Amino acid sequence: MATAATDFEKQWNGRVQSYRPSPTWKSRVAPRLKLHETTSETIDPVDFEVIRQKLWTINIAHGDTITRISGSPVLATLDFNMSILTEDAEVVLNAPYVQFLNAGAPLGIRYIMENYADRPGIDEGDVYCCNDPWIGACHQMDVLFAAPIFVEDQLFGWVANAGHQYDLGGIVPGGWPQNAEDVFSDPIVLPPFKLIEKGEMRKDLEAVYLRQSRLPDMVALDLRAQIAGVVFARDQVLGLCKRFGAPTVKAAMRMMLDQAQDSFRRKLSLIPDGVWTETRYIDEPLPGIRTPQRTQLTVTKQGDRLAIENAGTDAQTPGTNGIPFCTWSGSITGIISVSMLFEQLFAYGGSERQIDYRPTPGTLTCVNHPAATSGGILHAVTMMNAIQAILSRMMACDPDLKGDLVAPTADFAMPVLIGTDDRDKFFGQAILDSFACGSGARSFGDGVDTSGPTYSPLSMILNVEQLEQWYPIVYLYRRDDADGGGAGKWRGGNGLRSAITPYRAKTMSVVTNTGGQGATTQNGQGLFGGLPSPAGHYIIRRDTDLAAWFSARKVPGEIADLAAGETIHLSGKSNGTTLNPGDVFELRVGGGGGYGDPIERDPAMVAQDFVVGAISQRAMADVYGVVLDADGELDSTATEVRRQSLRDARGTWQACPWEGGNTPPVPANGKAPRLVHEYVRAADRDGERVLECATCGHRLSAYDRSYKSGTLYREEPVTAIPSAPDPAVFVDTEMVLRSYCCPGCKTQIATEIARADEAIFPEMRLLAANAA
Amino acid sequence: MRYLIGVDIGGTFTDCVAIDTRPGGGGAVPRIGKALSTPPDFQSGFIAALQAAADMHQVPLNEMLGDAHIYHGCTVGTNALVENKVARVGLIATRGHTDTIFHMRAGARLKWLPSNYIAHVAKQTKPAPLVPKHLCEGVDERVTFDGVALVELNEDTARGAIQRLIDQKVDAIAISLVWATANPAHEQRLRELVRELAPTMFVSISSEVSARVGEYERTIATIVNSLIGPPMQFYLDALAGDLAANGYRGALQIMSCTGGLIDAAHAAALPVLTIGSGPVAGLIGAADLSRRAQPGGSQNVVTADVGGTTLDIGTIFQSEPVRRPTASHGQYEYFVPTLDVRSVGAGGGSIIRAEGNVLKVGPESAGARPGPICFGRGGTRPTVTDAAAVLGFLDPDYFFGGRLKLDRAAAEAALAELGQPFGMDGSQTAAAAMRIVNSQMADAIWLALTQQGYDPRDFILYGFGGAGGIHAAAIARELGMAKAVIPLSDLAAAWSAFGITASEALIAQSDAVSMVSPFDPAQINHRWRALESRVTAKLIGQGVPSKAIRLSHHAELRYALQINQVPIQVEGGSYDSSAVDRMVTGFEREYERLYGKGAGYAAAGFQLTSLEVRGRAALTDVKMEAIGLGGHGDAVALKGYRDVGSGSGAVRTAVYDGALLAPGSRTAGPAILEFPDTTVVIDAKSSVSIHASGSVVIDLDTSEGVS
Repeated sequence: MATAATDFEKQWNGRVQSYRPSPTWKSRVAPRLKLHETTSETIDPVDFEVIRQKLWTINIAHGDTITRISGSPVLATLDFNMSILTEDAEVVLNAPYVQFLNAGAPLGIRYIMENYADRPGIDEGDVYCCNDPWIGACHQMDVLFAAPIFVEDQLFGWVANAGHQYDLGGIVPGGWPQNAEDVFSDPIVLPPFKLIEKGEMRKDLEAVYLRQSRLPDMVALDLRAQIAGVVFARDQVLGLCKRFGAPTVKAAMRMMLDQAQDSFRRKLSLIPDGVWTETRYIDEPLPGIRTPQRTQLTVTKQGDRLAIENAGTDAQTPGTNGIPFCTWSGSITGIISVSMLFEQLFAYGGSERQIDYRPTPGTLTCVNHPAATSGGILHAVTMMNAIQAILSRMMACDPDLKGDLVAPTADFAMPVLIGTDDRDKFFGQAILDSFACGSGARSFGDGVDTSGPTYSPLSMILNVEQLEQWYPIVYLYRRDDADGGGAGKWRGGNGLRSAITPYRAKTMSVVTNTGGQGATTQNGQGLFGGLPSPAGHYIIRRDTDLAAWFSARKVPGEIADLAAGETIHLSGKSNGTTLNPGDVFELRVGGGGGYGDPIERDPAMVAQDFVVGAISQRAMADVYGVVLDADGELDSTATEVRRQSLRDARGTWQACPWEGGNTPPVPANGKAPRLVHEYVRAADRDGERVLECATCGHRLSAYDRSYKSGTLYREEPVTAIPSAPDPAVFVDTEMVLRSYCCPGCKTQIATEIARADEAIFPEMRLLAANAA
Repeated sequence: MRYLIGVDIGGTFTDCVAIDTRPGGGGAVPRIGKALSTPPDFQSGFIAALQAAADMHQVPLNEMLGDAHIYHGCTVGTNALVENKVARVGLIATRGHTDTIFHMRAGARLKWLPSNYIAHVAKQTKPAPLVPKHLCEGVDERVTFDGVALVELNEDTARGAIQRLIDQKVDAIAISLVWATANPAHEQRLRELVRELAPTMFVSISSEVSARVGEYERTIATIVNSLIGPPMQFYLDALAGDLAANGYRGALQIMSCTGGLIDAAHAAALPVLTIGSGPVAGLIGAADLSRRAQPGGSQNVVTADVGGTTLDIGTIFQSEPVRRPTASHGQYEYFVPTLDVRSVGAGGGSIIRAEGNVLKVGPESAGARPGPICFGRGGTRPTVTDAAAVLGFLDPDYFFGGRLKLDRAAAEAALAELGQPFGMDGSQTAAAAMRIVNSQMADAIWLALTQQGYDPRDFILYGFGGAGGIHAAAIARELGMAKAVIPLSDLAAAWSAFGITASEALIAQSDAVSMVSPFDPAQINHRWRALESRVTAKLIGQGVPSKAIRLSHHAELRYALQINQVPIQVEGGSYDSSAVDRMVTGFEREYERLYGKGAGYAAAGFQLTSLEVRGRAALTDVKMEAIGLGGHGDAVALKGYRDVGSGSGAVRTAVYDGALLAPGSRTAGPAILEFPDTTVVIDAKSSVSIHASGSVVIDLDTSEGVS
């Protein structure tokens, strides 16, 4: 045990592999640092509720302090998060902004406690700073500030925030270098250092911090705002301790953690034991490379615990497709926080006690130093979508949890406009219209059109008028996007399309950054036979006749209406394409994944979607099987005929080419049938526990095999999804859409997008021991 | 003019305060008249409340109205929105931007919603659209940020769009074009086209409804204005008829959320200004009182209007209410110049419940129906009011001056059942719930002040509304404040109506600008003069003599690379470069006060984003100091004693008839002051006195130190 721990500590020490606290990390904290571990044995429930409410309020005010003082347009879009932690850095409270963003706090703080408790020491009035992705930051641009809280010379707890900076150096302004081969081209990396010592700013270290930035004055302002935030929150928590007594406040904090843990355990216990996997791909390790890379996430649920691993993920390579352990684990807890533990109001920390992370170092989702990490941050969204799909499938096994699941949302597509305006002023910031992505469908209803991301509920888009004040552009339109959400019994929410042309610009170029395969192959995954949402795009139409439109007093409704010299599709990662007057650039922001078989959707809702422009004629006819009459009204009879023909066509699909091998039958266990999927239930049949179709009773597989093994199966080009672009434009690897239906009733029960050479994804394997 | 009358229509009650300015002797005499609100024909409740006040003055209604000024805060617009009894509206927007109202700026729509809604992403949704998609028309035109018409208005397609809306039988049209703030010509021309095609159509244009940069919030304001325009017009016409029938010959003045009175024609054209005017009037009344009489000795005041379902929080700094540029209708945020009043879901009707092993209060409310258990109107879940009854704060036989008997036993039984798993009896559960809700209210106030950049300990609390007197001292103590005030004692129960009578005429006109430093004084002067003449013309139209008008000038600036826009009051007159410098200096000083030293980045330069002129004028010469309140000390105010608190912690507490306490009288807590419509709770650590203004001032002993 001791030896193993030592190996763990040697390997996961933050130098090559990421830092991870070992099970015995606290024994390595220098005795000079006294921990406040005294808690009241009991806490009055009223005291608890009052203190909980006050901690929540303090944490929110912490965030307000940051946005107010900085005045930064970056921080005003809430590209930060803040938290309150115990003395041993368990997260008592996180906040409603970008969920994973402060995942570095519990890691960075434990690193500081293990390594610096003796010298330079952790003392009252100190503030530590860190942006090292292998220690305590999701990428270099999200800088962590952490302040210890001391009560009578004992470390009572911590407050921390992490926020996005304007610029910290590196080969591309703004910190998203897509052409960085390794970390030495990235923004500067700063392991934890004590920036404020007993209340005094270390001027020398501040100078070090600012030196590599292209915008040191602005970064200095945000630095002060973030410090003011932790100092404010620290003093407020101290005030609570003074008023209620530190042991009582600590007891309340522990109770919040225990409540989150208990709730998580209780909910996990409602789900059968099993293994869920999800495979996602990431395009273009470096701009122009046409081979996507593979990631895999596997969650094993046994009893009330989760084991989470990334085996099956490609080894890291030069380029920007990698994320460190901090970002990977943060993407997991971030989604748990808004799905399984929503009722804890972002107090997710207790759930981590039930999770065993088993990352394979040196892979894309747990990169070792010196991989480039700054430009890869958008893949955190891809990972969040992977865990969201897995958790949703798990939650669908229980009727109550099912109401709280949401299909994945879109990957993040982020163009950056760089140039000078006609007054020679430099501009260079991201257009964050992807914060109006559509959300995934739910088990009881559609996703929300242009809802904003599930993983950051308050993230917003700016008004066109605000953007036109900051950049020399004119938005021709920003409109709803038909078919952007995945089709399904419940459809994913749609995203939008924005078209921009330069106005009073001297120079302008557009740089693209995209997570996952969001610009080539797909956005959010579909659940239970619902379709994935199609990829977004970046299109430039060169030398258009826009001026002629304008002088004819007309505004184009879409870029296809324009006559143009050339049409250019930008890849997901591109490092600067010029936009000239008369050129028009269109961004397509994706929607969420669909839920359930599209031909089960209420035909009246399909017709309504078509009338308001939420879906196309093609989607209505080919995917939903709905027919309108000559007056544009729903033709129920023709619809039923059409849907039957779609069902009949599914009968010609081939048997699923399952290669997962055979397992002995799982004996019947006498338990009642129960759903383990929207359309699949576990049931006893002929002395065996099996998975069968919940609609028609057709046997699909043994209990512990993938239910897909007994399905009918079809492989199609990704362009079978209405409005999906052809991945082959940017990707040489063949990507396919696979659909699975029940051989009995022909209900479509699963879909996935995969590399054509991949074996069937098992998706879910229930464990025979303790079968549900 | 003898009677000065303020009428505030709320969701449940219509409150009327009628001040007799020429009584037989002494100061002016205020009387409260209350009646149930009568949606959708609110004017019936209005007349009934007037009648109740006339009865209190013992004069016939005709006689009172024959010599009166009526000022009115109306909830017709709010009610129409909430009940969805609004006009059928068509939207005309710049082609390519008609979907803005459906995007709702994505997550920005959740900004003011409670945390449990924000966290539960699976249950989030968007509200029904204010205008359905088929009634949204795009027109070919485009103005840019610099006011250039990049695409001239295409009148042919515009006429087609307008005609399609007319054909679809819309009752009103909202016109909102991108950058209409920089150049309103296209919006104005579109309105002319609508008038050509449909002369009686109600039309709003965004550059007039709310001239601020940000097309989403401006469009929503314009739509809201059109949605409630026709019902408001209908209501004001009906009300004018009813008032005339009862002998009223004067002009009706309407309260606006901007913080002053506007005339009925103005309110009919811009009804969006009437939404939220009730709570705003309360804040105006409080600011007026803090300026003139200073009960509690401070001009920095937090107002806590504790109603049945919500706590409305306002902030007054140096007797000036804090303002904000937006208001919200559910998830729809829109631009409107308003006082900053924030509502949180905590009030007398908030439901007490168990969630797992934790006791919680609210945000769900029993409202007026079924209401608290003790009201005996079918309520089955215990509320904060039930807790107040069980703890002895309320006298079951003297609630609403005895007009409503409280069933204390039923409330206690329900609380006992709820508390049983926690090992608490009914009164202990009541005390626990009271502590939780007071703490929640204090936390909400603390957060609001922190967000505004203030420290609560520099403030005192004014508590009003139905339950203000019960919670004021506890909230103020929790916030570390020295004093809590129940303004003008019993008038606190109709405080918004009183605030309306204390209001002046106020017209605010603003221009959204985007000027970059160095600023051109000539441009600024040009804007000032135009704004001044607009303000003056409107006030004169309202019946104000021009010499009575007081103008003030306001600007909003920001640092060029930072987004905090800070409003400041600036000098009027003719600007030269030194006046411009003084404006910038004033901005920097205010920025530093709000955000701290060194928080602004001056090297990047400044941006001027808004210029505004406000004109005020008193509509009456009645001075609020002249109001005679309070008893004369010649009657015995002590009514008796009752046990207040829970179980063994209950304390024998003196109960006074507040109306009989003379100004200057003082007593130590514990005590309860009962007025017909207001009950004031004073704990054992506090003392209470009656201020010269007739207000109740609670002195909290804060020597122990509270964080």
